[in-house]
Amino acid sequence: MPGSGVIHHPLTRRQILKGGAALGLGSAAALGVGPSWADPWGRSSVYAQGAEEGPEVALAIRQETLPIDGRSARPMTINGTSPGPLIRLREGQEAVLKVTNLLEEPTSIHWHGLILPPGMDGVPGVSFAGIAPGETFTYRFPVRQNGTYWYHSHSGLQEQLGHAGPLIIDAAKREPFRYDREHVLLLTDWTFEDPMTVFRNLKTAEGYYNDQERTVADFFADVREQGFAATAEMRSMWAKMRMSSRDIADVTGSTYSYLLNGHAPEENWTALFKAGERIRLRVINGSAMSYFDVRIPGLKMTVVAADGQPVQPVPVDEFRIAVAETYDVLVAPEDDTAYTIFAETMDRSGYARATLAPREGMSAPLPERRTIADRGMEAMGAHAMPGMDHGAMAGMEDSGAEGMAGMDHGAMAGMGDAGPQGMAGMDHGAMAGTGTAGAQGMPSMDHGTMAGMAGERRRLGANGLLAAGTAQPGSRYGQAGIGITPGERRTLVYGDLKAFTPWPDRREPERELELHLTGNMERYIWSFDGKTFSEMTGPLHFRHGERLRLVLVNDTMMEHPIHLHGMWMELENGHGALIPRKHTLNVKPGERVSALITADAEGSWAFHCHLLYHMKAGMFRVVQVS
Amino acid sequence: MRKTLLALTLGLVTSTAFAAGEHGGSHAPAGNAEIDRTIQLEAGDMWFDAESLDVAPGATIRFEITNTGNLAHEFVIGDAEAQAAHREMMQQMSGSHGHEGHGGHDMAEGKHGGQMPAVTLAPGERAELVWTAPENVDSLEYACNIPGHYESGMSGNIDLQG
Repeated sequence: MPGSGVIHHPLTRRQILKGGAALGLGSAAALGVGPSWADPWGRSSVYAQGAEEGPEVALAIRQETLPIDGRSARPMTINGTSPGPLIRLREGQEAVLKVTNLLEEPTSIHWHGLILPPGMDGVPGVSFAGIAPGETFTYRFPVRQNGTYWYHSHSGLQEQLGHAGPLIIDAAKREPFRYDREHVLLLTDWTFEDPMTVFRNLKTAEGYYNDQERTVADFFADVREQGFAATAEMRSMWAKMRMSSRDIADVTGSTYSYLLNGHAPEENWTALFKAGERIRLRVINGSAMSYFDVRIPGLKMTVVAADGQPVQPVPVDEFRIAVAETYDVLVAPEDDTAYTIFAETMDRSGYARATLAPREGMSAPLPERRTIADRGMEAMGAHAMPGMDHGAMAGMEDSGAEGMAGMDHGAMAGMGDAGPQGMAGMDHGAMAGTGTAGAQGMPSMDHGTMAGMAGERRRLGANGLLAAGTAQPGSRYGQAGIGITPGERRTLVYGDLKAFTPWPDRREPERELELHLTGNMERYIWSFDGKTFSEMTGPLHFRHGERLRLVLVNDTMMEHPIHLHGMWMELENGHGALIPRKHTLNVKPGERVSALITADAEGSWAFHCHLLYHMKAGMFRVVQVS
Repeated sequence: MRKTLLALTLGLVTSTAFAAGEHGGSHAPAGNAEIDRTIQLEAGDMWFDAESLDVAPGATIRFEITNTGNLAHEFVIGDAEAQAAHREMMQQMSGSHGHEGHGGHDMAEGKHGGQMPAVTLAPGERAELVWTAPENVDSLEYACNIPGHYESGMSGNIDLQG
């Protein structure tokens, strides 16, 4: 199916070829049939073939008319395709990436997850001035890592227009797994609306894309299950908070077409294999706003890398991929049959889909779609407290999301002695009296972690901080998140991620930097510590060479994928010396997540929520390392 | 030495079990004397240095296995079905303990139920396993079934067609 429905645009084509010739660019990809790397046969015998591209790559950025999801669209293209070509580098190379701007507005490319000099990071206003129309900017940097990454525009809302692509770095040494063939699976979300219109819609009408609001039918269903009083009480509570329990995603399938390698579900992009092969799937979430739950019914997937970094293998049935994350999984189909690669959005408003098959033209049944989940009280922090007197929550009615910022997590640490039993027997009425902390904080606590807290406290360092690698109270690394029914299938959780070898910097953190993820849903303002980027007067400061702990506390009711440029974040998920390195951390509603950072990269770096419209709305900071 | 003998006995008993069907299966209880061949294998993260082995039916093999990786590994011989069942069991064991604090090490120490010749090696450890190849089976697998290890490529085929 890929390649069907090609619309011929002689003028555009000529322009492409002309531009390509002038710039010395390859034009094979310029036929508008989708990314050339999305070859149905993928790539086999990877070690023998070497790199297809790099160390020198030329990229031309344009906006042109191409078909997407069967309709004429105006995406931004890179060498003629949207999403752009696969850039393949090799560890140890000196990369030279020449980006030519053939748009009528400035642009940029950020190499997501790469450790490189600050001037090469590609964030206009932070690392460089951006690339003006007609200009070429040459990125040069040593390639010091390997794995699955991606690249995208860091200018305005261009990323929403398909200005993104996969970036694969082949390892210099043997990787800790073996495979016969590989496929890249790039997930994106496409809208035929102008991205600025989407942003304006979000600003002016809360829940604009939320067409899964609870209905009268839902009300009666709930009454059947929970009884009238409980249902009415729940409804009234959400109403008082001016929030919707079904606000899982800000932008949904009502405007988005979810694409896999640039193809809509009906186009059934097909990845080919031969029965008995072990296949590496490099899964990248390059979407602007959409989390996906990925599974291949009938196949176990073994997660072998997260954010490009190898992890000890974890066999799973499903994994959730936050925006900007990457996961590498191995699958080994033994039968000569087709399998559906199913990527359902977290809010269940749609899905991306491809087929893994031994031959073209095959398909397997689509799994039954799950219905949208309600954010339980968990989002505010009140899960697992069925006996809770909702009346006590009344104090929250005016606070909404913002009020939660006032939560005193410090006080929670003192609860260690209570343990899970103590919690269960807790007088919920008394909780109301704890004011801002109260109900919200508790619930988000991982009870498993709590049981160990008395022990953890003894592990405090001389400076009174938790020992390196320890999971924070309030983290939920054992949970996949909203919409995943525990126990239904084996789903990857952050607690599964474990590195192979300890990171060289074994120092304990010298200090903690705590940042709250904050927002105002109604006005669509997103921020850190209640301040948007435009309200900030200076950058966050990391002292060059210091070892610090970044603590992220999500006071909002949305997930936020937080991305730090230039330095790894070591996710403190309780695995001590083997905590995994990530470039993007998903923080669930009400959750408290921490990471260790070695501030070894002098310069200015972007730090932001990778939900595109959250970043645009203010959830962005500059980190200065000096 | 005692460990080697134990492994030896285990190996002999179980290899006959695989020789299913009419085969009566009484291998001569060998002492150290009757080693036909020694095979050295390296187990790393996540591979065995040999991706397949050719073994003569009935031959008694001494495997010398060294774990050069950072993780624990096992070396188990059995048919594909038995390996899969063992793998399934080990994964369930890991699942029931939740996600925290139960890495491969714990499971590797677990029982294999004596069903298949097996050794488990801590990082850096070296171990021996003596095993007599069955006579009426065409092929077997060797594998590490610690969750995720087989799936990452820690397996190989033993061709017994002589």
